[in-house]
Amino acid sequence: MQLFKSLQEKPWLPITLAQQTSLAYYASDKESAASTALRFFLAVITVIFLLFTITFLQRTQSFDFQALSGEPWLPFTNAYMLWQNSAYLLLASISIILAKKFAKQQSLYAIIISLTATASFTLLFINGQVQVWQQLNQSGFYIYTNPANSYYFLLTGVHALHIIGGVLVFMRCIWLFSFNLSYQQLASRLKLCAIYWHYLFFIWLFLFFLLTSDANTFKNIALICGF
Amino acid sequence: MTKIKNVAIADQVDHSSHPSTFLTKYIWSQDHKIIAIQYSITAIAVGLVALVLSGMMRLQLGFPNEFSFIDPSSYLQFVTMHGMIMVIYLLTALLLGGFGNYLIPLMIGARDMVFPYLNMLSYWTYLLAVVVLLASFFVSGGPTGAGWTLYPPQAILSGTPGADAGILLMLTSLAIFIVAFTMGGLNYVTTILQARTKGMTLMRMPLTIWGIFVATILGLLAFPALLVSAIMMIFDKVIGTSFFMPAILSLGETLDHSGGSPILFQHLFWFFGHPEVYIVALPAFGMVSDVIAIHARKNIFGYRMMVWAIIAIGGLSFVVWAHHMYVSGMNPYFGFFFATTTLIIAIPTALKVYNWLLTLWRGNIHLTVPMLFAIGFIFTFTHGGLTGLMLGNVVIDLPLSDTFFVVAHFHMVMGVSPIMVLFAAIYHWFPLLTGRFLNNKLGQFHFWGTFLGTYAIYLPMHYLGFLGVPRRYYAMGDTDFIPASAQTLNAGITVAAIIVGLVQLVFIVNVIWSTFKGKKSGRNPWQATSLEWQTAEFPPGHGNWGKQLPQVYRWAYDYSVPKVKDDFIPQNLSAAEVEYLPNESEKNKGDK
Repeated sequence: MQLFKSLQEKPWLPITLAQQTSLAYYASDKESAASTALRFFLAVITVIFLLFTITFLQRTQSFDFQALSGEPWLPFTNAYMLWQNSAYLLLASISIILAKKFAKQQSLYAIIISLTATASFTLLFINGQVQVWQQLNQSGFYIYTNPANSYYFLLTGVHALHIIGGVLVFMRCIWLFSFNLSYQQLASRLKLCAIYWHYLFFIWLFLFFLLTSDANTFKNIALICGF
Repeated sequence: MTKIKNVAIADQVDHSSHPSTFLTKYIWSQDHKIIAIQYSITAIAVGLVALVLSGMMRLQLGFPNEFSFIDPSSYLQFVTMHGMIMVIYLLTALLLGGFGNYLIPLMIGARDMVFPYLNMLSYWTYLLAVVVLLASFFVSGGPTGAGWTLYPPQAILSGTPGADAGILLMLTSLAIFIVAFTMGGLNYVTTILQARTKGMTLMRMPLTIWGIFVATILGLLAFPALLVSAIMMIFDKVIGTSFFMPAILSLGETLDHSGGSPILFQHLFWFFGHPEVYIVALPAFGMVSDVIAIHARKNIFGYRMMVWAIIAIGGLSFVVWAHHMYVSGMNPYFGFFFATTTLIIAIPTALKVYNWLLTLWRGNIHLTVPMLFAIGFIFTFTHGGLTGLMLGNVVIDLPLSDTFFVVAHFHMVMGVSPIMVLFAAIYHWFPLLTGRFLNNKLGQFHFWGTFLGTYAIYLPMHYLGFLGVPRRYYAMGDTDFIPASAQTLNAGITVAAIIVGLVQLVFIVNVIWSTFKGKKSGRNPWQATSLEWQTAEFPPGHGNWGKQLPQVYRWAYDYSVPKVKDDFIPQNLSAAEVEYLPNESEKNKGDK
């Protein structure tokens, strides 16, 4: 609402000396700047996944689309491995919150343990995803044999790239902390990393639901969306 | 709202970015001004390549089969590379990477972008994108000739020029460009939102900044559509998926693709492509507003409406994309919807044109070179906008689609018009970069040559479109419905295009000569109010503002204020510092 109020200002009206002493000012710091940039970046990522999703939903209605679950012989009718991977990402997301909390408390050992846990769970997630890819290939669900397979590899691949980007920033944060970053600075950076990890987790949950739905679910979604 | 935390980010100098060697000062620089110059030089250099390509296309169209080095394949490659380079690698990069980088911190009163390192990375990634794109000229098969829209299936099928390495390099280059733009764009929006100096409220920002701000948001939200389509097309080409590829026979052979939708690509492409028009246009709208106000010595008419119009145009630009696809076939209700939104977007756009005219109305117009280009822009933009209104209607678009009328329309509206503003901006802000003016006589010659020359090119081109001359054709051959006089007209257009191309060389010579030998401008030569002209050091040095950031007390358009001694009041001049005319000063003291 502040924005709408700002947009109604009449800047051409002369201001008095008294008004000049209370000039509007938002003296932001690096943290809030980084937070703004992160929000815009996540908006960009949201648009990317949204567009992929729209194309996917349209494709689910084509004659050659074979959903990846719903029948006993389909790979995600039993999505045990994907549940396991989801748990890893959830744990990574929780441990990064703990790391932020410990950074505020300036508890070095707890920080090291929680950061190691974050890195480990994230790597376990990526490793788990690669294993699912291998299993799909071994079962004959190649990337080019069916649009559902193509989208599975494509979307999980883009999500993995998104994670790797986060991991690089996360590693830089730890690297800086090992040299000259204060606990307070570490906490503020981990706060942003935590937002990123939560976002990764929610995007993954969305993809999980989308990619492992059966043909009937797609039919209903398409009906609602008007495809 | 007063909320003070630590040192304001606008005032922080990143010491790690302080240049001490030639390499860090001019090559790996994190100074927004140097990065802006790097962006600009690269964009103009690659733009000259595109200009040469257009010259070769025109040679073929004007004098068919006279030049052995232009065959049907190379003609299509020239068309494709000319379009893509001009739209993405020149206009987007120069307006946002060049002018955005240079002007944002200076106009809002910050020392630099909030993430200088990311800013530097953005430029080098952009350069990589340009190198990858230009590399396609040197690979087997040459660059892609699929047309700048890169429509599948033909873009990746044998028979289309550059269907192997060329298209892959194009798509890869676009993906790299989008990464570069995202890095830069995040910097621009964050800097504008978080690093404005004291007193610089959103509604005191010059319209240049508003245009760049909204265009950047459009870019951040629209470029993902191009990225998504580029990734999916690379998969179709390299891995053999069928995102966009239907079951198809190619050169008598059945391909493995099936079920993909080429129309889906068109939707994705134009979901990016139409906002792209405004990614280019909005910064131009902003800059031309400032140039007109300054050189007419008058406050911009309807500032608040101008801001709202920029925002409205930005929002509407996301719901008009399918007007590029009327001939692709769509539900008539969708056609109706997209035609309606297209016509609605004309309202805020027309409002801006009226406001520019009303700013000029009874202004103290100085016909400087920047002003000439700005006025030229009003002509070319109105012209291109009106033909846009025609093409926005389904029934008019259908017969005119894929004719030269469309080519003439979009060149007027998003080719010539933004270029006019770019020239206005370069002539206007050149003294800020170098402390020198561009040569006036050469500038006048450049303006008249470009303005009249582009009309000599594009007015007859509309007529060719009405005749039904199709675009993208290498040669007309014996086509019954096209009279022989159309060829004469095409030859005339080619001569005009070559003259306009040569006139641009005068501009390049002017820039190089004036950088070193131009007339010294002194501080604030145009007597402008905005902050970029009020720096402690002139031209501004690293950190922009010396010891203290400026404070802003007013908007950027206090020109010819009644009773005030000078005809402009800088934004950083407080009410107490304003000098009044002798017989008014006593009265004003009394008012306070």
